[in-house]
Amino acid sequence: METIWLYQFRLIVIGDSTVGKSCLIRRFTEGRFAQVSDPTVGVDFFSRLVEIEPGKRIKLQIWDTAGQERFRSITRAYYRNSVGGLLLFDITNRRSFQNVHNWLEEAQSHVQPHSIIFLLVGHKCDLEAQRQVTQQEAEKLAGAYGMRYVETSARDAINVEKAFVELTRDIFELVRSGDIKIQDGWEGVKSGFVPNTVHSSEEVTKGNRQCFC
Amino acid sequence: MSIPNGSPERDSSSVAPPQLECPSSPPGMDPDPLSTGSPVLSPDSSSHDAVLSAPAVSPADSENLSPDELELLAKLEEQNRLLEADSKSMRSMSGSRRNSGSSLVSSSSASSNLSHLEEDTWILWGRIVNEWEEWRRKKDKLLKELIRKGIPHHFRAIVWQLLGNATDMPVKNQYSELLKMSSPCEKLIRRDIARTYPEHEFFKGQDSLGQEVLFNVMKAYSLVDREVGYCQGSAFIVGLLLMQMPEEEAFCVFVRLMQEYRLRELFKPSMAELGLCIYQFEYLLQEQLPELNVHFRSQSFHTSMYASSWFLTLFLTFLPLPVATRIFDIFMYEGLEIIFRVGLAILQYNQTDLIQLDMEGMSQHFQKVIPHQFESCPDKLIFRAYQVKYNPKRMKKLEKEYTTIKNKEMEEQIEIKRLRTENRLLKQRIETLEKESAALADRLIQGQVTRAQEAEENYVIKRELAVVRQQCSTASESLEKAQDTIRELQQQRYTEPFVSNLQTQLEQSRLREAELLGALKEMQDKVLDLEKRSSCLPDENNVAALQEEVKQMKLRELETLRSFREMQDTVTELNQRWQHHMSRGGSTGGGGGHWKESPKKNAMNELQDKLMTVRLREAQAQAELREVKLKALQLESQNQIHSKLIGRHEQERSALQDRLQMLSNQNKALQAQLNEMKRKQAESDCKSKEEVMAVRLREADSMAAMAELRQKIAELEIQKEEGLIQGQLNHSDSRQYISQLRDQITELKNEIRLLRGHKAALSSRHGGGVGGSTNYQDLCLASPASAEGDYLSSDDDLLPSPLPATALYPSLSTPCHPSARLDSEGSTDSETEERVQTHPDPQQLYGSMVCAEALDN
Repeated sequence: METIWLYQFRLIVIGDSTVGKSCLIRRFTEGRFAQVSDPTVGVDFFSRLVEIEPGKRIKLQIWDTAGQERFRSITRAYYRNSVGGLLLFDITNRRSFQNVHNWLEEAQSHVQPHSIIFLLVGHKCDLEAQRQVTQQEAEKLAGAYGMRYVETSARDAINVEKAFVELTRDIFELVRSGDIKIQDGWEGVKSGFVPNTVHSSEEVTKGNRQCFC
Repeated sequence: MSIPNGSPERDSSSVAPPQLECPSSPPGMDPDPLSTGSPVLSPDSSSHDAVLSAPAVSPADSENLSPDELELLAKLEEQNRLLEADSKSMRSMSGSRRNSGSSLVSSSSASSNLSHLEEDTWILWGRIVNEWEEWRRKKDKLLKELIRKGIPHHFRAIVWQLLGNATDMPVKNQYSELLKMSSPCEKLIRRDIARTYPEHEFFKGQDSLGQEVLFNVMKAYSLVDREVGYCQGSAFIVGLLLMQMPEEEAFCVFVRLMQEYRLRELFKPSMAELGLCIYQFEYLLQEQLPELNVHFRSQSFHTSMYASSWFLTLFLTFLPLPVATRIFDIFMYEGLEIIFRVGLAILQYNQTDLIQLDMEGMSQHFQKVIPHQFESCPDKLIFRAYQVKYNPKRMKKLEKEYTTIKNKEMEEQIEIKRLRTENRLLKQRIETLEKESAALADRLIQGQVTRAQEAEENYVIKRELAVVRQQCSTASESLEKAQDTIRELQQQRYTEPFVSNLQTQLEQSRLREAELLGALKEMQDKVLDLEKRSSCLPDENNVAALQEEVKQMKLRELETLRSFREMQDTVTELNQRWQHHMSRGGSTGGGGGHWKESPKKNAMNELQDKLMTVRLREAQAQAELREVKLKALQLESQNQIHSKLIGRHEQERSALQDRLQMLSNQNKALQAQLNEMKRKQAESDCKSKEEVMAVRLREADSMAAMAELRQKIAELEIQKEEGLIQGQLNHSDSRQYISQLRDQITELKNEIRLLRGHKAALSSRHGGGVGGSTNYQDLCLASPASAEGDYLSSDDDLLPSPLPATALYPSLSTPCHPSARLDSEGSTDSETEERVQTHPDPQQLYGSMVCAEALDN
């Protein structure tokens, strides 16, 4: 596997507490699902390579954030340097869906002068019986904010790959079209082909670690 | 509170060899009912670790201690020494074995010694717990040292409570009540319960006892402290407490921790304390590990990424539980300082590794390598932690700094927000202003075009105005004249020229009249002549015929008279004869003898006589008749003459009437003319007034336009200033543009000044005019008081006021009276003239009649 990547995108994953942010990221980066995971206290960091087109790899740096509102004082520092974001809600928890707007506002007010390309993710779609948010209304909301909408399940590994890859593709297109530019002092997008980053990304993609913290 | 630069190894040499006190029984167990249930909850080997590390006591403490304590310390030192040897042997034995088995190995290898030592520590801690107050007061430093070595597992419950001063809390009694209540955070707590120590036996499994009590304590706390409520991370601390003690006690200790150990500030919704901790930690990092700090910064590896969980969960989610529990022991006594120390110790230990890694590598290192580094030897970590320089004063200073920074930041944030909104507003304003300025530029150009047009128009208007003004002046002159005449008329005082004027007018009119009359007379004469001729021609014939008739009649009369006289003569003759005869017959008859021929002859004679008398009488009657007839004839002719005369008179009268009518018509026409003239004058006055008004209006319009333009100029100037500022920022193009604009503005200003000058001139001129008109008013108005009232009002009031017009009209109507009088006078004059004229006519008639009579005669 070639480890040279075209770009490095920094993504932030936000959403209410217990919507499954960490589980989704772990499923994506480590390919496994933990029945229980510690609540994220502050911010966690993950990364993975994604091949959006044959031979075109993007390195994703993913920031996992604490969902509880009081942690926003920590997490809001991470908006600025993110180019994209997954905004999660739990389809079995209507409240988390209602908070989507607040999350967008929170992000919007702290990302300036940059902007974040968001993907709305309805998580835990394996729990269809407990669904409280219909796909239609979620799609409507996403449309209202100009976002894509994907329903995922970390447990059953549904659409996890798709969610990240689609967002990555969207950002890649914007980078390629010049709508998003690489800037000094901004870590949202970085150009690749830096030799010394090769080994580390390799390490990350192994995805064989057991997290303890 | 750094350790007085003493390492346990060095100290041990200076302390006397220990004598172990009776290891009979673990006395600490008896007075501590709290710890009874806890052994089940201790899967770790912390108590063992505590024993292992116990000998590390500083020498400074020993100086102030009683012999008893010294003895104790000595014992500990001995233990320490033994341990050293043990650990060395252990290391040599197990090598790099995974620490999970290390405790077992160590315990088995040195079981004989350790059990012995364990008993000793139990005795010691039992004593400490029993004489807690005394220890805290007198042997605080020793206690601290002992705690740093680790609290034996079985004593943790009570010692933590004692350290937290949580043994006797009133809130404990509320606990059961609190459990009955429901908390707004319940849902969130419930969700996190399963995620707290999910691997730990006590908390494993849904609805396990551990999860239940954990939920209870978290809920109870969220009810006691509603501001903090529930914060993720705090459940790990409570979980640790619950591993050692029952829920009420854990709740009390947690309350104390929150209140007294800065935890409340850490978990507050704003999490300001966490920011401070990270700030302080960053300072320490910069101070003590500058290279690593630089590396972190270059990789944008934020402190908050790894350190926030350290502070929030006191390493409970970062390090293996036994190690974290050891740190927690110290935390209970020394507070958050130990977290800083341990954190820095960890970074220091890993510095060389971390510096070689990039972001991903570092995060991997933090997640995978670091947690297990000290699993087997927590003492090493604690030892390293106490080698970290930590200056509480410095930290206090940093706290102050941070609060000022935060305050400033907050202010700045507010300021930034304000500025941002301001900026947005300003941008909007700039946009609108730019649009406006573009529009204004367009308008300026347009304005210039229109200005040129207007200038032309203005020129035309000015000319018109001059004409109008002339007209106005003439009108006002005429008005003045009229006013004068009015005044004169009002005052009933005719000035000489007016009188003469009137007289001349009168004379003229009279002359005209006379001329007309002359013409009329001529015409009449002609008519008369013609009449005469026309009447004479048939009349002469008639007269001649009549005269002839009269002559004939007179001749006949004369004849008749003659005949009458003859007749009378004959009659008298006859009478005489008769009488003679009679007398003769009487003489003969008396003498009868004469007419004795016959009696018949006598009667016949008598009858003849009688007949003769009758005939005489008849002749006389006939004469009388003729006379009467003559007289009738005469009367008839006279009657004819008279009737003719009457006819002529009537004709003349009708002619005169016609003339009268004609004259009166003429008079009326003249009067109408006069009225017309007057009306025209009034109209012209009105017109002039209107024109004046129109001029004023135009003036007002131009004033308004001027004001508008001035405003525009002001706006433009403002814009210009803004533009100038912008222009300075931008490029010289705008400066040029601005200068252009400025030129335009000055031009506009000049124009306005010109206009203003015009206006001033106009107004000054008009002021004079208006003054004149006011004079008029003054004169026009019947009451001077009211006129004064109006006079006092301003020019502007005068302009739109209907006074001039209305004042003029009555003033114009007033002269009607004298004119009417004049008319009446005229009419009387004409009447008299008519009379004069009509008089001679009958005389002429009479004259003609006399002539006719003279002719007759």
